[in-house]
Amino acid sequence: MIKKDLSIDFLGVHFENPFCLSSSPVGNCYDMCKKAYETGWGGVVFKTIGPKHFVIDEVSPRFDKLDKEGTPFVGFKNMEQIAEHSLEENLADLKRLKEEFPDKVLIASIMGTNEQDWEELARLVDEAGADMIEMNLSCPQMTSHAMGSDVGANPELCRKYCAAVKRGSSLPMMAKMTPNVTDMVPVALASLEGGADGIAAINTVKSICNIDLDKKIGLPIVNGKSSISGYSGKAVKPIALRFLQQMRTDERLKDLAISGIGGIETWEDAAEFILVGASTLQVTTSIMQYGYRIVEDMKNGLMHYMEEQHVDHLKDLVGLANQNIIPAEELDRDYKVYPEIDEEKCIGCGRCYISCYDGAHQAIEWNEETRKVSCNKEKCVGCLLCRLVCPVGAISKGEVEMKPGRSGKPEDKVL
Amino acid sequence: MALNYKEELEKGYTMRTVMEEAERCLLCHDAPCSAACPAGTDPGSFIRSVRFRNFKGAAETVRENNALGSICARVCPTEKYCQMACSRCGIDRPIDIGGIQRFVTDFEEAAGMDILKAGTANGRKVAIVGSGPSAIQAAATLLSLGYAVDIYEKQEKAGGYLRYGIPEYRLPDKVVDCEISRIEKLGAKFHCGMTVGKDITMDALKKEFDAVLIAAGFSGAKTLPMFENNPCVETAVSFLARVKENQGNISVENNVLVIGGGDVAMDVATTLKFLGVEHVTDVVYEEFKEFLASDKELKGAQALGVSIIDGYVPEKVDGSEVTFSHRRIPGELKLKADKIILAVGQKAETAELGLDVVNNEVNFDGYQTTDPQVFVTGDLARGDKTVVWAVRKGKEAAEAIHQVIGGAKA
Repeated sequence: MIKKDLSIDFLGVHFENPFCLSSSPVGNCYDMCKKAYETGWGGVVFKTIGPKHFVIDEVSPRFDKLDKEGTPFVGFKNMEQIAEHSLEENLADLKRLKEEFPDKVLIASIMGTNEQDWEELARLVDEAGADMIEMNLSCPQMTSHAMGSDVGANPELCRKYCAAVKRGSSLPMMAKMTPNVTDMVPVALASLEGGADGIAAINTVKSICNIDLDKKIGLPIVNGKSSISGYSGKAVKPIALRFLQQMRTDERLKDLAISGIGGIETWEDAAEFILVGASTLQVTTSIMQYGYRIVEDMKNGLMHYMEEQHVDHLKDLVGLANQNIIPAEELDRDYKVYPEIDEEKCIGCGRCYISCYDGAHQAIEWNEETRKVSCNKEKCVGCLLCRLVCPVGAISKGEVEMKPGRSGKPEDKVL
Repeated sequence: MALNYKEELEKGYTMRTVMEEAERCLLCHDAPCSAACPAGTDPGSFIRSVRFRNFKGAAETVRENNALGSICARVCPTEKYCQMACSRCGIDRPIDIGGIQRFVTDFEEAAGMDILKAGTANGRKVAIVGSGPSAIQAAATLLSLGYAVDIYEKQEKAGGYLRYGIPEYRLPDKVVDCEISRIEKLGAKFHCGMTVGKDITMDALKKEFDAVLIAAGFSGAKTLPMFENNPCVETAVSFLARVKENQGNISVENNVLVIGGGDVAMDVATTLKFLGVEHVTDVVYEEFKEFLASDKELKGAQALGVSIIDGYVPEKVDGSEVTFSHRRIPGELKLKADKIILAVGQKAETAELGLDVVNNEVNFDGYQTTDPQVFVTGDLARGDKTVVWAVRKGKEAAEAIHQVIGGAKA
């Protein structure tokens, strides 16, 4: 079995691998975190610890899922708030975990309602032995508007609370961002100005997952009602990647240290987050669906990827895609690529024909007799929707043609 | 796994698993499956409805075309029709169209949908002789066109071969009941236990009705001369009916020889296994490469431990000992059994119906007989003898009647 070094340093802390539990139901107590460490996770962000005076009172049931065709958990909705155990229990768990797993990274997630809370919590988790602090500025389902994503959408509050945390502890600290803003950069900047050393992104997206059509109530139903709450899982991955990219490519946030979160369930997802700038990764939804064991394939798969890429240090992959995602106005618009149809592979389902006609430019032509397709280059604009819908991979990128009057050579284009 | 004759062998899909199967469908343009159904069922359309979670719409698509949607879903040899045409074969295996159709029709039943509607009464009446699949479909089509329909069935219960021939584990009685009750709800009157030619004459029917449609099917069993009057021998038709009527509660000897290689022979052999018979040996005239039974039925029988010996023809019988010879290579096979079941085909019993039947079929194409008032459909009409073809012929015969005697009564 392949053996590669997956370790990485993040905010001055050494992680044996980048995979961490995110602050959520999956890291709710000592036993869970112990099992996660033993299964091979590099770090744990312990479920957010709140101030003593804020009492957590959860609803039942509290989750929902979005399905598509035969695939469950395309997305997941969660109404659970922060840790429901007492402050003392949580601190005792942190202490015990650090004692028993000194080589694993222990990150304490905290959330206060005011500067005093934040400062105090930072001091307490530092004393308990945490290696790092994550500020939860982003939970979208708190029962107090002085907490969670309402705070995370306000740069001023973020700056103030980050400073408070830094007064309470000198541990490395990251601020966890909410995606429920149009632009994450001002909040990230304010957090760094307040003293944050890095950013964790993204927390969950405010959502209504499904509505019961008979009862006309959102799901899950809590005594006849429901609420908007956080959405996560594979469906939010594209949104998370976009926020990471926007932060990493802002001049003021160059080389920002990021812990990436949002729909990671395979090594490929993990690699994508790393390529847009994440140094560590946090996972919840896929653990809730499949358990801690998923880390085994994420780690092994990532090792094979490093091998294929001839990379010995994970840090060498961080942010490699950032430079290749540029504003739309800067893209090369001088050429088009025609589809190349492999008749051997084609099974004659006609899906490319339907999609091209109804969703593109009526360029795929259909032979009723033979059930084979061909591309009419006069009409084809090279959008390659056909390639995306083909169920057998019979359509690939084919001939490249320069648009009339444009300079450059087709063979120079990177497809 | 203990076999239970009274329990459907194949498990139906759940909401979750049917979505997984529907997701495999490529949703083809001009779907080849839809062009391949003899009865005109449109899987391309109803599977798309399932894919987009419109289960009621899927049920409408199936039912409006086929009054025996739930039955075809269970007994149609789809491997020869829609599933053979399925584009997915180019990737791995076809979509389980029969299974999805079964889910859809089970959904229809559970939702209590009444999809078929009777047309405005046109004052004309049709009598149907027999109540098998072609009769039921013809009744549904005629009722939708506004005809009054009376069905005469010589057996105690309606359904024909569906009721008395296909084993319970493949087609439960309650599914047949449901399909029949739909037709009854539409207004068909069933007269069971009435043999036309005995309890009521053809002339009487012709007098009372505008048209008579004969859908008497193959109710008789073929035999081979050497097996006649042998107490060890029973025909498949008689055996299957006996088992079904008694819902599996019959005692059978422990060493049974089946002769025949069609779907009926497979049903007999498989039923014997369901009844706990230890040694079931089926000797078949055809060799495997030319086998008549559907692949599914053949594999099903073999999976249950039926010994199938292909390529042999019976030469002589001595009590319960049968000697076979191989059709192509020199060689003999001698088998002694406690019981012999002959599954060598069925035949029409139409003596009292005044039909000119040659080789178990009428000697003309189409459905109208030389008597302009009398029509024929089902197995007696020319063409394939499967349930799906019975549905097609039922529809076509109804349309033929409508063309000849159609329109409101003056």
